[in-house]
Amino acid sequence: MESLLVLNGLNILYEVTGLVFAALGLAIIFGLLRVMNMAHGEFISLGAFTAVSCQMAGWPYWVSIPATLAVCTGVGFLIERLLIRKLYNRPFDTLVATWGLGILLRKLLELGFGKGYQSLDLPIQGSVSVWGTDYPAYRLLLMGVIVILTVGLMVWFHRSPAASRIKAMIGNPELAEAVGINTQRLSCVTFISGVCCAGLAGALLAPLYSVYPAMGLDFLLSSFFILVIGGVGSLWGLFAGAGIIGGLQSGVAVMADQMAGYFTVLIVAIVFLWRNPDGIFRRS
Amino acid sequence: MAFSVARNSALLVLLWTLPALIGDYGTYQLGLYLIYAIAAVGVGICWGQLGFLPLGQSVFLGLGAYIAGWTLKGFEESWGVWLVLPLAVVVPALLAWGIGWLVFQRKKESGPYFSLITLALSMLAFQAATSWNSVTGGFNGLGGIPELAGLDSFGSLYYVIAFCLVLALAGSSWLLQAPLGTLWRAISQNEARLVFLGFHTGGLKALAFGYSAALGGLAGVLYAPHQGLVTPDLCGFLLSAELVIWTAVGGRKTLLGPVLGVLLVGLLTSELRDTFAYWEVLVALIFIGTVLYLPNGLAGIPLPRLGLKKPKTSDPLPIALQPAESGLHALSLQFRQVSSQIGTVRILDRLSFQIERPGIYCMIGPNGAGKTSSFNVLMGELPLESGEVEINKHPLKLPQHHLSRLGISRKFQYPAIFPELTLQEHLSIPLWSNLAKPLQYLDPRLHRWQSEMRLNLRERFPFLKNGHDLSSALSHGERQVLELAMTLVAEPKLLLLDEPCAGLSAQETQQVIDTVREAAKQLGLVVIIIEHDMQLVRELAEHVFVLHQGSLLAEGQVQDIQTNEQVKAVYAGGSKA
Repeated sequence: MESLLVLNGLNILYEVTGLVFAALGLAIIFGLLRVMNMAHGEFISLGAFTAVSCQMAGWPYWVSIPATLAVCTGVGFLIERLLIRKLYNRPFDTLVATWGLGILLRKLLELGFGKGYQSLDLPIQGSVSVWGTDYPAYRLLLMGVIVILTVGLMVWFHRSPAASRIKAMIGNPELAEAVGINTQRLSCVTFISGVCCAGLAGALLAPLYSVYPAMGLDFLLSSFFILVIGGVGSLWGLFAGAGIIGGLQSGVAVMADQMAGYFTVLIVAIVFLWRNPDGIFRRS
Repeated sequence: MAFSVARNSALLVLLWTLPALIGDYGTYQLGLYLIYAIAAVGVGICWGQLGFLPLGQSVFLGLGAYIAGWTLKGFEESWGVWLVLPLAVVVPALLAWGIGWLVFQRKKESGPYFSLITLALSMLAFQAATSWNSVTGGFNGLGGIPELAGLDSFGSLYYVIAFCLVLALAGSSWLLQAPLGTLWRAISQNEARLVFLGFHTGGLKALAFGYSAALGGLAGVLYAPHQGLVTPDLCGFLLSAELVIWTAVGGRKTLLGPVLGVLLVGLLTSELRDTFAYWEVLVALIFIGTVLYLPNGLAGIPLPRLGLKKPKTSDPLPIALQPAESGLHALSLQFRQVSSQIGTVRILDRLSFQIERPGIYCMIGPNGAGKTSSFNVLMGELPLESGEVEINKHPLKLPQHHLSRLGISRKFQYPAIFPELTLQEHLSIPLWSNLAKPLQYLDPRLHRWQSEMRLNLRERFPFLKNGHDLSSALSHGERQVLELAMTLVAEPKLLLLDEPCAGLSAQETQQVIDTVREAAKQLGLVVIIIEHDMQLVRELAEHVFVLHQGSLLAEGQVQDIQTNEQVKAVYAGGSKA
């Protein structure tokens, strides 16, 4: 009985941290830069497919992490320069243009890898005993990485001068420019960090999820829902949103079926989008 | 209108002659895309005219198709089909109207959240259609749908589809040329302005969303017999996405744009998808390029404003407002201990003042004194934390768009106008707001309404006579005057003017002063003017309120104020003794 409890607890934790990880990149790009990024899911796919490519090339899994960072930095830079830069403060056009970008990336992945599913070997086999319950080691590692990364990001956001500059830039770009902040470079770097976060999530989650070119769509929606329900700009919001989405999804799925779980999540998200789009934890 | 009939007939003839050229299969394919085009016209109206982007048009197309499929299967050849089939249009329209009503009620701007909601709705509809096996046939869809009145999908049904498309275009063009269309376009350009002119913009947007869903439903009605099969994909998000892409590429600002987009991109896609591997990548690139560089799409290139012609001038229909009455019902206004706070910033601090009789009142005070904020509290833009605002001795608790019905009109600090509407339309909207009945907004004759106030204003400010000019062509000073004219045409009882002369030349300033003074006398108005220019205050004000740090510091005649020690101290930078 106790072991079942531990197992369920770990599973829920795994689910929630996975959702948090997937939403992290969007939390930066949408939460900080206020860019409605509909290509977020494809940034995650980008990381996942980088990992797949590394495996195809016969490289060890760990190579895919620097590789993902490199790919995402390059792609992020290009996208920021060619697309996003022209669209700051035009939320509608951003939404539509990044949607087009999402389609573009999806189709490119389809061209390169085909529409089918890819499989990725688990980088760490075997399991670890947690309070007498065996749990896959890679999942445990992943959970640790996610928590460290998220908390680190939040501490950075609240403490570092760079984060203050970002906040200043979002609050008033002209004034920020006037006090000597290079807003163009700053937003570019911020955007790239968001893409890298998303890509990293893709690369690290890829061994546990199914990898296919259209995989980004589900991530996109769940990430938006998490941010909408939890509220942007706070760690608690991120975890609360992920907890609610993940909890509802798996809770209802256990009680009824998978479809009903998904259904419930959609309905809750719609209600939040409608009644309270700032989320539970409002930005102060 | 006549031109529109001619053009639509020509389009119909063109579409009807095509089958002879393209053969049976071509006709079948073209028919399918003309069906999609009907749905895309709806997307174009929401996005191009009203400025909100629905990402779930396929929900209504799918719903219409399922209802039509069931009806056709249930009634077969019986005449009952024709009784039930309209439901496939009406139900989606009502559903969308209801959703729109609920969503738009909450937020004034139609930001991206609405799009996300509709996107989630299309995922929801897809799930529902997939899992509700008994009704929708589940994943495999609702099959075996018979033909509509024996019309063959490879032949005769095409003519009906083409007819429906042209009908949808003609109907939409008629709606957009009606006063309702003017209001719809005004929403996308300055929703707040329209609210304060007395329009319930949420309701207007819901109406447009409902209409667009009706077009989706109509497309569904035709889709079911055309394909003989309705699958959950029809409700899903991918089709919605494609409809948006087609609309964007074709051109969302015009009615024909979406049709063009569907035919070009859609038909080419169905031809090239399998033979040319890079086609879909190319479409995505074209789409992004359109959003970035060609916001009005292909239809925006050669013939701007293709679907929307300027209404022709015809003799004005004079209408009489009742100026005599307004004097009797002069409005009284009272602020009692009004406080307002945003976050930790106290904006108004127990502000009290009252106005009992008509006249011109000026509100002065250093920056941050709470002048504009007191307007904002009155107009419901800022939360009233404590205290009370009373109009005619009744506490003010009304939705914002009802304020204009009470006779409250506001001119914003920065001229709030509708950049892409004509001057004529600018001056018509406030005229309609308190006089037109709901159904009259479909009556083109409203465009010809005229009032004495409007004629007077046009005499005083000759640029207003160029009724067909767009307001974006005006100078800053002219925009200020235009907005003032709009507020006056509504013939209010309480007029709030926030620095009406900022950025005006000396001559224009004098004209504005004369206009305000005359209107005040003629209409028995209460005018409250926020002003920094003491010269102007001296000239205009019958009574002055001095605000400081969110509360009333002093009031009285101009001379009294100017000798008041406290006021001097505040303006000289000293603190309140």
